[in-house]
Amino acid sequence: MDVDAIVIGGGHAGIEAAMAIARMDFDVLLITQNLDTIGKLSCNPAIGGLAKGNMVREIDALGGQMGNIVDDTMIQFRVLNRSRGPAVQAPRAQADKLAYQVKAKQVLEAEPRLVLFQDTVVELLYSSDGRQVAGVVTERGKRFAASKVVLTTGTFLNGRIFIGEYTSSNGRIAEPAATGLECSLIELGFRMGRMKTGTPARVMRRSLDMDKLAPQFGDREIIPFSHRRRSVDRGQVECYITYTTPQTHAVISNNMHRSPLYSGLIVGSGPRYCPSIEDKVVKFPDRDRHQIFIEPEGLSTDEMYLNGISTSMPEDVQEAFIHTIPGLEQAEIVRPGYAVEYDHIDPSQLYPTLEAKMLRGLYIAGQTNGTSGYEEAAGQGLVAGINAALALRGAEPFILTRAEAYIGVMVDDLVTIGTKEPYRMFTSRAEHRMNLRHDSSDIRLFERAYRIGMHSETEWQDFQHKRDTIAALKTELGRHTIDAATLRRDPELHSAAGKTFYDALKQPEVGLERLLGLRPELGSDVRTDWIRQVEIDIKYEGYVAREERMVNRFKKLENLRIPRDFDYNAVPGLSNEAREKFAAVRPLSVGQASRIPGVRSSDVSVLVVLLDRKRRAA
Amino acid sequence: MSEPIFALATPMAPAALAVVRTAGDRCIDIVAGLTDRAAAIRNSHGGRLRRATLLDPATGAAVDDVMLGIYRAPASYTGEDAVEIFCHGSLPGIQRILDLLRKAGLRDADPGEFTERAFIAGKLDLTRAEAVNEVVNAHTRAAQQLALSRLSGSVAQEIDAAKGDLATLMAHFTVQLDYPEDEIGPLPLPVERIEALRSRLAGLAATYRTGALFRDGVRIALAGRTNAGKSSLFNALLREDRAIVSATPGTTRDVLEARLDLDGIPVRVFDTAGVRETDESIESEGIRRAGSVRESADLVLYLVDGAAGVDAIDRSTLKQLGSKAIGVWTKVDLELAGPAPTDFVAVSTTAGPGVRGLVAAIKDRIAATGVAVDAAEHGGVIVDSARQRDLLLRAVDSLQSLTAGIAAQVTVDALSLDLQDALGALGEITGEVSSADILNQVFSNFCVGK
Repeated sequence: MDVDAIVIGGGHAGIEAAMAIARMDFDVLLITQNLDTIGKLSCNPAIGGLAKGNMVREIDALGGQMGNIVDDTMIQFRVLNRSRGPAVQAPRAQADKLAYQVKAKQVLEAEPRLVLFQDTVVELLYSSDGRQVAGVVTERGKRFAASKVVLTTGTFLNGRIFIGEYTSSNGRIAEPAATGLECSLIELGFRMGRMKTGTPARVMRRSLDMDKLAPQFGDREIIPFSHRRRSVDRGQVECYITYTTPQTHAVISNNMHRSPLYSGLIVGSGPRYCPSIEDKVVKFPDRDRHQIFIEPEGLSTDEMYLNGISTSMPEDVQEAFIHTIPGLEQAEIVRPGYAVEYDHIDPSQLYPTLEAKMLRGLYIAGQTNGTSGYEEAAGQGLVAGINAALALRGAEPFILTRAEAYIGVMVDDLVTIGTKEPYRMFTSRAEHRMNLRHDSSDIRLFERAYRIGMHSETEWQDFQHKRDTIAALKTELGRHTIDAATLRRDPELHSAAGKTFYDALKQPEVGLERLLGLRPELGSDVRTDWIRQVEIDIKYEGYVAREERMVNRFKKLENLRIPRDFDYNAVPGLSNEAREKFAAVRPLSVGQASRIPGVRSSDVSVLVVLLDRKRRAA
Repeated sequence: MSEPIFALATPMAPAALAVVRTAGDRCIDIVAGLTDRAAAIRNSHGGRLRRATLLDPATGAAVDDVMLGIYRAPASYTGEDAVEIFCHGSLPGIQRILDLLRKAGLRDADPGEFTERAFIAGKLDLTRAEAVNEVVNAHTRAAQQLALSRLSGSVAQEIDAAKGDLATLMAHFTVQLDYPEDEIGPLPLPVERIEALRSRLAGLAATYRTGALFRDGVRIALAGRTNAGKSSLFNALLREDRAIVSATPGTTRDVLEARLDLDGIPVRVFDTAGVRETDESIESEGIRRAGSVRESADLVLYLVDGAAGVDAIDRSTLKQLGSKAIGVWTKVDLELAGPAPTDFVAVSTTAGPGVRGLVAAIKDRIAATGVAVDAAEHGGVIVDSARQRDLLLRAVDSLQSLTAGIAAQVTVDALSLDLQDALGALGEITGEVSSADILNQVFSNFCVGK
């Protein structure tokens, strides 16, 4: 069977890649080892969180699926960081894991140009000169031809799990690893590495002592992730909070020699920001407790997820330390925690389209690129899928800038800096975060996605309606003034007397709801979430403008393009280290060059002067 | 790979010696080919001074007896092979040598090209590149010392230290941006540390005025009615100074300018000779004169003829000038002269007190206006480019806004912007986040030969 594109893997990256290619009108084949595990939430039962929630909304604004699927299957919703300002707030949802998977598979099945197939890809086919991908070979010996292949192997490429002394060739517990494909990648010359991540034990709800746990409730109002929904009206479940104790830490310390992390069995690097409980005990000996969030895995199961104590300790040790935790003394462990180690490629071998530099037509996305997290994987899958489709069309690539989207920040980081530990998105990675609010994702990205065919006409009209309504309301707010009549009705507004409603909003104590209360006709036909968006837009206008100035400064460097064949050896002023790194990464702009780790400022300045001199000479 | 270039590195003016600088591929060979000792110079080690006779290859005639400073890559200013030609300083002689080099295949250097090459070769960072310009233009020893200390990177060091502090502060905010409040509760923001850093950077920015004075000199104007003795005083000041740099007519036809070294402080004295009273009303004339001098000068020596005494014009002008003025009571050696009023310094350009008292008064006044006299007071670190000063002030403003924001309970997302801005500003000073425009600006300020 010949198709336009093949997607290897049915995880969060694979789903977005395949859906994007199909929506952009190409035939795509998604090959996965097991059709029943499409869209599986391998670790915690939650989507979103700081920066990650922004990415989910960006994925949605770009025509991706994740927001839509989680809207359908969430069982708790919260906006995090309400006290820290709108630009760093983010939505997070607890998902019903099984429902999420079912919905994800339904989405794929409903897409006419997408074909699913269960098998394991063991080999990549490429042209005789070794420069263009040609298709794949599966374990059962089937050959599929395609000029675009998106590789999303997650933790399965040469995956191996660890539970104390027990180890097995798995990508997830009880699911076989994918082996063979790594040989193709090595043959092609990819630099590969090993990474490690871990997951905690699951326990049964009925075995918990609820009296000792503090409940954590969802927000009263659920804000949908997707533009396709106006609201989510659903009952919510609680999560619970407890803490480890000094006894917990003692059990772990006494058994440290049995942890594969410390016995030397695991060589891959794990995430510093999401350490296992073993790591926490070793690295923070002064802390006498660590927080645990107990999260339900879904409505159709009593399994609970112990967020905060991922571990690869032997099962008897896991049981012993979990039983020292208040509320978990009698916990029935139904699945043990485990660590998984897997092959990944060095993502600095990719272009910002996520296409491999050494093999045309091969795109790589998700955990294979050394990232961690469902949202990170989905964002990359979308970028890879869109660019594969655009390449099929012979169109210009689709690259999101750092100033435009968290996804842009992530891809730029990956292809420029690479990563030494599983890469997770953080708010602080985005220097343009004032402009990257989750609620403004569609304003930033929707139109770009529509132009390349990622949205339907109906969706586009709905978006335009939203954009126009918001613009109209802003105009109206600029026309009305806090005059004497207004002050008579609301004397406390005297500090804003004479100002337009628009300018009055810039005062911290003045809210839009209050102003609209005075002139109800202004906001009568405007949705509450849009009103909130208008309010933040106006209140943050000054900050965004200021950031814009920084963005422009940065754009100058970004616009200074470096020719692909630039000869770094011919520049004596570069340090040897920078010369090697520039030659390896082949940055396309000075901005990108300046972000390569280990490159000194003087190296970048030298580059700037040289390129500028060439430009002047040209 | 690098085109050989040349330029006259000393002023195009008659002098005992002049230096012509060359750098680039094959420049040693090319210059060697123009001498009577081609082989010896071609094979010379770097870091040597060789004597040779420059010959005109067309005629074989001797052009000049010179010393050649030979530099081998990478041990040279630009990191390339280089030859410095120390020749005699007659203008026709210099011209002939430059013509020889041009004919031999070297190109005239662009302004700042030597320094730009040094920069590209990684020999200088941006603050040091800027400092080169100032070492060259330094008018006194103290000013030169200052520029030299910047050449060694002291500004860069100071900025780097501040950047380190800012990065630590940034970490405080970052943790709140990256982890939800139910995992990491509110952290107290280190207001005192922000304030300490702000005042440190503000202090560094404030040294700019000193830096500018050392580079440009303190501008002192002589003013007063005709025949008050301005020209005599001008000449007397010039005699007092044994290290006159120049006494040339200024750009304005009627203004004479002289550069003096008053114990290390570079001073530029402007004699506004030629300003004549007209029939305009007394008051308007006073205002006009005071206005024009006040604009340009740091200090005004306002002369009053001791024999004529203070009149209405003088009074109104002095009032206009305010603290900028030093009243000078001239011609005290004349019998007709009355005693100097308080606040006036008595001088005689021919006898008696001379001008020493006035020189002391000038120095006191410069010190009193807060313009530091001694570079060492600032640990040798002085900012003397306006670009650096502006960026420091941007960082100071950002930190001020940060403190104000904390007080006004602005949320951390917005506060982090201030810090980011401050970091960006400091980064630009050392060239970390420099845009091409800034670099162009830096290098275009250079004269040819540097």
